[in-house]
Formats: sequence, structure tokens, C-alpha cells
Amino acid sequence: MAKKSTTKPAGGAEVGGVDLAEVERLLAFMEKHGLEEFEYARGGVHIRLKKPSAAAAVGPRMATTWDTSPPAHAAISDAPRTPSHGNAAPSPAKAADVHVIKSPIVGTYYASPSPNADAFVAVGAKVESGQVLCIIEAMKLMNEIESDVAGEVVQIFVENGKPVEYGEPLFGIRVREKK
Amino acid sequence: MFRKILVANRGEIALRVLSACKELDIRTVAVYSEADRHALHVRFADEAICIGPPRSSDSYLNIPQVISAAEIANVDAIHPGYGFLSENANFAEVCEASHITFIGPTPALIRMMGEKDRARAEMAAAGLPIIPGSDGAVPDEAAAKRVASEIGLPLMIKAVEGGGGRGMRMVRTKRELIPAFQTARTEAQQAFGSPSVYMEKLIERPRHIEFQVLGDRHGSVISLGERECSLQRRHQKVLEESPSTALDPATRDRIGKQVVEALRKVGYSNAGTVEFLRDADGSLYFIEMNARIQVEHPVTEMVTQVDLVKAQIRIAAGERLEEAVGSFTSRGHAIECRINAEHPETFVPSPGRITAFRVPGGPGIRVDTALYADAVVPPYYDSLVAKLVAHGRDRAEAIARMHGALDGFVVEGIKTTIPLHKRILAEPDFIAGKFDTHFLDHLTAAKEK
Repeated sequence: MAKKSTTKPAGGAEVGGVDLAEVERLLAFMEKHGLEEFEYARGGVHIRLKKPSAAAAVGPRMATTWDTSPPAHAAISDAPRTPSHGNAAPSPAKAADVHVIKSPIVGTYYASPSPNADAFVAVGAKVESGQVLCIIEAMKLMNEIESDVAGEVVQIFVENGKPVEYGEPLFGIRVREKK
Repeated sequence: MFRKILVANRGEIALRVLSACKELDIRTVAVYSEADRHALHVRFADEAICIGPPRSSDSYLNIPQVISAAEIANVDAIHPGYGFLSENANFAEVCEASHITFIGPTPALIRMMGEKDRARAEMAAAGLPIIPGSDGAVPDEAAAKRVASEIGLPLMIKAVEGGGGRGMRMVRTKRELIPAFQTARTEAQQAFGSPSVYMEKLIERPRHIEFQVLGDRHGSVISLGERECSLQRRHQKVLEESPSTALDPATRDRIGKQVVEALRKVGYSNAGTVEFLRDADGSLYFIEMNARIQVEHPVTEMVTQVDLVKAQIRIAAGERLEEAVGSFTSRGHAIECRINAEHPETFVPSPGRITAFRVPGGPGIRVDTALYADAVVPPYYDSLVAKLVAHGRDRAEAIARMHGALDGFVVEGIKTTIPLHKRILAEPDFIAGKFDTHFLDHLTAAKEK
């Protein structure tokens, strides 16, 4: 299958048109300056880097009061969730070919099949239709959530161990064009 | 006392439970379907979790989703409201298994009262009068004659496997009995595949009278008086009031004591309503029990000043009735009008966006509603717009206040049954307290062509 081509240094790994080495430099930059979150757009590329929230023991990120002030416990990167929007998180990619996988159940999101295992997928992973992307635990049952499209994971909206509600965006998948 | 409660319901009853929790300083969690994203119970709860698409079966009735929401929100208890999962014994059991307190009776009692035949048998054994009947299928003509002489005329012959008004025959004279018995059996065989029929005394000009009870988990039960709910259209209650104009103090007292005694015997706890049919001769017969808080509970709250929902929560937390309820007296008269999103004459449902919404107030007026200007009444759930309750020193004052309140209740954008209630309140027979369960069907039949 042909790789998408963009301007890139030879030999560099690439995700969505962005050179990974560059991303690593950005991460180092963030670390150096103690940044939690970093976002920029350049040309046709939009990057958003977010460090795992320090406030890991927060309760469920649920819609609360009608005034739009964020719940006190929310990590800085969580957009305030107001009932009219239904859920927080970075807004799902609006690109026409990015398919958003939403949670079909209420439960707790796990990125890996077991605590010490690798995550099912990471940003950049190529996935097939039917492939397991994550587990959502509900009432002590581990439910495997499958992708309903083939393509590439371009965004993961949830954090490991966090509660999710019905309809909550989980993954953004750039759908592979059929040949 | 509970730290956090999840309300497994929507609409006005969800708001009702939320306000009781707030008064008790309990944090609240709302669950909602996608159709209720902008609903008030979602706004007013401390936390809210979307549990499914609009259809009830996929959301509010979806036990795994509700329990999962309760788990991730780490609640201590669930209040089921009315309808939905409130009388689902399986749900109550799942709550218990998940170490979440179900605010209501035990699963065993929910199950008992849910199986109507069994409820009647248990309550009869516990001392409540039930409608005289054949106690099972009537095998032959000789048995039919015997049962008829025991229970008296008029009587109904009904198919054991039946329903929907088919396989039923009324018998007013002895002469009609055997032909009716034979025809009923033939009809039952054709309609339901079994000729089995049973017999039951026909209650003439029945009035629906129900008793509100509360039981704690330590064996005490009390009655908080009755509500008259005879004004029904196609078996749906439209208007309720307390006290009933058909009960004298002695009967009220006697039945109240019998109800309390029967429920103590079966170990009933939390809120419940014991329903009776009153015959034209004044006899009361137990028909069924609703093991939950009911839509019309505000009528009793206005008369007794007892907060029934707070009492439910306190009882579920283990408090005794003395603390959870305390002492109370019944004062005055209360009437509740159920205002639905329906055409007031054709009763065609009228979902849609509300463009104006002005709620009446003043002395003795209470409105329980989850709607507001610009809200959308979704088509997926019941059509209740608001419960308008008026209390007065006596029935005349309650009626007068209700008139004023109905005039001052403005709802535009959808049709409501407010005009129907105005009509009911102006009916001489209603004002005189002379009606039965057929009253409203007759009143509305003429218009409903």
C-alpha cells in the first residue's frame, strides 16, 4: 500500500504527515519548560500534545453544573463538560475521513488487555475492521471494543483507567481509502 | 446516611428525588439518554452520565448500563423513581449483588406484589378483603352454580388465559348464568386456546381508593391515609385527591389498620400503595399493591406534610419510622391534576418544543415539572408535562385554588390537557363527589369522535 507522502526528512518515521523525531523534540521542549499541554498548527498540520494528568485520582469526568465553569477536580486538559455537549475531551477530529469510535456502553476504559501488557493500539497504529482497540469494563465484565473500520489511529480521546459514558469518543481513525 | 445516590429515572420524578437528596445533603448522579441531554435532571444533578440512545429499553431500562454508571460514579444507593425499573425485582437484586442499596422494598416483596394473583392470595391470607371469586378455574356447570350462589350477583365470567376484554361475560340474573358460562368457555377456547374460565363478583360503580403506606426495616408500618383515584381515562389516572369523599372516618380507620397489619405480617418496608375497589354498597376490596413511590404521592404530602421521598431515603439508610417520618396529622384537602402533552379532546399525543411556559403559584399550589420554555417534549417517554397540586382547608377551597391555578398555567407550543381538567372541575357530579371509574370515560367519549 502506498505511503502518504509529505515533505519529510529521509528515513524519519512519520505519523499523519508529522515527523516523529520532531514530536520528540517538542516533548523534550515541554519537559524542559514544565508544560502540561502544547498545541500548534503549521501548514496543514495540527499537533496537540498532552501530558498524562497529574491528578490521576479524580472522579469521573461527568457533566455537572449548568454554568460552564469546569468542575474543580478536572485536570487542566479536560475541557469543561456541559450537558449540552455531552462530553468533554479534545474535540473529535473534524476531518471528513476521520471516523470516531464511540463507547457503546458505560464503564471503565482500559488501553491494554491486562495491567502490565502493552496497549492494544497507539496513535499511528494501522487497524483492521473488527480489530480490538480497547477494553471497557462494566460490572466486572471486560468488553472488547472493536473497530468498525479499517485505517489508522490518529487520536485517542480517553485515558487508561478513566470512566466513559455511552457515546463518549474513544478513537479517531482515519479511514483507509479502498483501492 | 448515604453519601451519593444515583437516580435511575428522568423527568419530574428524577427532579423530585434530586431535591430530596439535596435536602439531606446527599450528592446526586443523574443518568440520561441522548434524547435527554438538555433535561433538567441532568443539569441539576451533581454528576450526570449518558447511558444510551433515546429508546427506554436501550437506556433507562438497560440494567447493565444503569449499574455500570452507578459503579463508575461510586454511589451508595439507587432511587428508581416510578415506572422504568422501580418494580423490577431482578434489578433490585442486581443492586444488592453490586453492594448498592436499592431505595425501595426488598426484591422478594417486589416480586410478591408484582405477581397479581399471588399478591391477592397473600393479602387475603394476611386479612385483607379481596373481590369474592371462584379462586381459580370453574370446571363445570355445577361448580358455576355453586360459586354464583357464594359470591352473589352480578358477576363476571372471565377467561383464565384471557385479556383485552375478550372472553368476558357479565351475568345479572340466575337465568343468564349457564348460557353465559358456556359461551364464555367457547369464546375463551377460540381466542386463547383454553376454555378455562373463572368467576368474580362484578363491582358496580367502582371507585378506586388507595392507601399510602411506609414501612421501615425494623418491622413497623404506618398508613398515611388514602387517595381517591377514580378519575381515569382508559385505566390511566388523570386526577387524584385526598381524602376520598366516599370514605367515612370509621371505614378509613378500619381499612387503614387492616392494611398496616397485613403489611406488617409480610414484612413490607419502604413506600407502597395498597389499591382497593369500592363497591356501590361501600365494601372495599383489595385489588393490587404498587411496591414503589407513585406519581400521585404529592397529594398525600400536601395533606400530611410528610416528605415521602425523603422518608424513602431515610428508611433505606436504616432509620426507624419514628425518625424517618415522625408524627403527623392530616389537614385539609388536596387535588392533583396530571397535565399531559395531549390534545384535550382527542388525546392525540403532542410532543414538540414548548414556546411559552408559565407555572402558577400562590397559597396551597405546588407544581412538579421538568419542563420549561424552549424545552422539547421528546416522543420516546410518557406524556406527563406537569403535576399541578392544590391544597385547601377543605375540598371546596382546593377546587377553587385549582381553578385559579389552571387558569394561570400557560403552556404554548404543544397541546395539553389543561382544558380537560377545567372541564372536570366544573362538572356538578365531580363537585358533588359523585363519580366512579367510568366517569371520565363517559365525559370524554362524546368529544372523542
